[in-house]
Amino acid sequence: MKVEIALECRGIHHWFGDKRVLGDVNLKIKRGQFLAMVGPSGCGKSTLLRAIVGTHLPCQGQVFLFPKDHEAEGLAVAGPGRDRGIVYQHYSLFPFLTAKENVAVGLMLDQTGIAFRTFRFWKWRKLRRDHLKQAEDFLAEVKLNDAMNLYPHEMSGGMRQRVALAQAMIMKPEIILLDEPFGALDEATREESQQMLLSLYEENQQAIRRGERPPYTLIIVTHELNEAIYVGDRVAGLSQYWDWRKEGFEKCPGATITYDKAAPVFQTKSAKDFTTFTEQREEIRRVVFEPSPPPDRREHVVYWLTNGAAMPSDHAAAASVVNPGEKSR
Amino acid sequence: MIRRPIPKSLALALGLASVVFLLGAYTLLARWQHQKNPDDTTIPSWSQIRQGLVTAIEVNARTDERWLLEDAKASGARLFAGLIVGVAGALALGMLMGCFTPVEAWCNPPLSLLAKIPPTAALAVFFVLVGTEGEMYVTMIAFGILPTLAMTIFLAVKEFPEELQFKAYTLGASHAEVIWTIIFPHVLPKLIDAVRLVIGPAMVFLIAAEMLVGSVGFGYTIRLQSKLLNMGVVYPYLALLAAFGFAMDYALYQLQRKLCPWYEGHRS
Repeated sequence: MKVEIALECRGIHHWFGDKRVLGDVNLKIKRGQFLAMVGPSGCGKSTLLRAIVGTHLPCQGQVFLFPKDHEAEGLAVAGPGRDRGIVYQHYSLFPFLTAKENVAVGLMLDQTGIAFRTFRFWKWRKLRRDHLKQAEDFLAEVKLNDAMNLYPHEMSGGMRQRVALAQAMIMKPEIILLDEPFGALDEATREESQQMLLSLYEENQQAIRRGERPPYTLIIVTHELNEAIYVGDRVAGLSQYWDWRKEGFEKCPGATITYDKAAPVFQTKSAKDFTTFTEQREEIRRVVFEPSPPPDRREHVVYWLTNGAAMPSDHAAAASVVNPGEKSR
Repeated sequence: MIRRPIPKSLALALGLASVVFLLGAYTLLARWQHQKNPDDTTIPSWSQIRQGLVTAIEVNARTDERWLLEDAKASGARLFAGLIVGVAGALALGMLMGCFTPVEAWCNPPLSLLAKIPPTAALAVFFVLVGTEGEMYVTMIAFGILPTLAMTIFLAVKEFPEELQFKAYTLGASHAEVIWTIIFPHVLPKLIDAVRLVIGPAMVFLIAAEMLVGSVGFGYTIRLQSKLLNMGVVYPYLALLAAFGFAMDYALYQLQRKLCPWYEGHRS
């Protein structure tokens, strides 16, 4: 079966003055994939997300999206756009809008302009009703029927994050980025939110089985390794601890991908048994978080080597950049 | 204990008691003064105050006008015109400064400097630049409140979380929509709060200017009647000014609750 690529980071370098943050980051994400990104504090995970969102473009390298009409050549990210949704840990919702309005605001911004809303008021009113109806349906999907008219400060942390996810999902973006979305939640709420992500993953699987495009491609940045392995079907580690001298750099170019492997897929209803991925968790901790770099990160950046058989030929060449031997400096 | 909450009923009773205490103290003071001098008008008795109010409300035989009505019309028009111009200017300037760094770099130094000059001290400048007619009052109030208001709005925009701004872009917002549809609603309650705070200073600027060059208005009448030691008229005028200020503040508070129902909960 042909593998569709949804997003590619090609040779991303980023620096702030003399401080090198990201060095030669290469990443390709399959459509329908849930990639969990882990890494030590300050390794540049948020910088990479900002590069993907397009609010802070990388100093070198490019991010490409592969929407339906640009599947072969891809579209280079030149700024923020509605094809990428984002959910932050804090400030995930507009405080002056209710849950329903927060979800509908994207449709409003995408489909109408200020002039339309001002001068074609009656048409706007009718459209507004449609938007709010769609928002209600999305909120029902994430089991928030009772929170439709609540303001963010009236909701719990878990509810807010679910509304934020619905807000991103309603736009049907190419990719949804979650920046430590459950970091501030208590354990029970966190688990509930993780279950919701697993249910979205199941929707993807069902779509694939029906021969359709999987609706959700997702990158989740998290500090929590258990969460990364549990909700992601692939885990990538971004780390500043790697042997850059061995790979031909004269000074540290910043953090790069030091770990990239598939993760076990869990079902929503299956029991959460952490012992099943203890080994992987320990490996990530050793390779990504330990300040002493692993002797050869190639041993751990193997996702496309072990899962690349199904890759289309035009992507196979580009996939080789994932192998750290080939850098784009 | 410090800041220990008290029942609402007790808070209300204490508030009412303070007003009763003030009125009682004034009554005693006026009685004591009138025992010394029965014709005294500096601390008028309640009957003198009532008489002063009647004088202000009734049609004056000499001018054929109702003082209070004419003064209220003149001062009210000046105050509202000044507030509207000042708030609109401050809103535009504060939003632009908060959203666009070149505008901030350009406007911040002069605005910070202007904010330090008391408009009442610069009265002569306003007289010279815009004369002593209605425009002068409007200009003075507008310039008096604009720097503080603009800085408040500017700071509120600066506080707007950039995550929400990025999110708006990912939802398809244009730059204009980020400003008008996303940042403005966030800033609006703080703007209303700031307007509540500048109503007092705006009234000070107006009354001061009317006292100096006015021929009608609250400031003019207060100055004239004070010179005549006709405090029976002055005190009702002061009470009306206080009531007007209170009513404006309350109306703005209600407006904030109506337009920004999310704000109080969000703030707490």
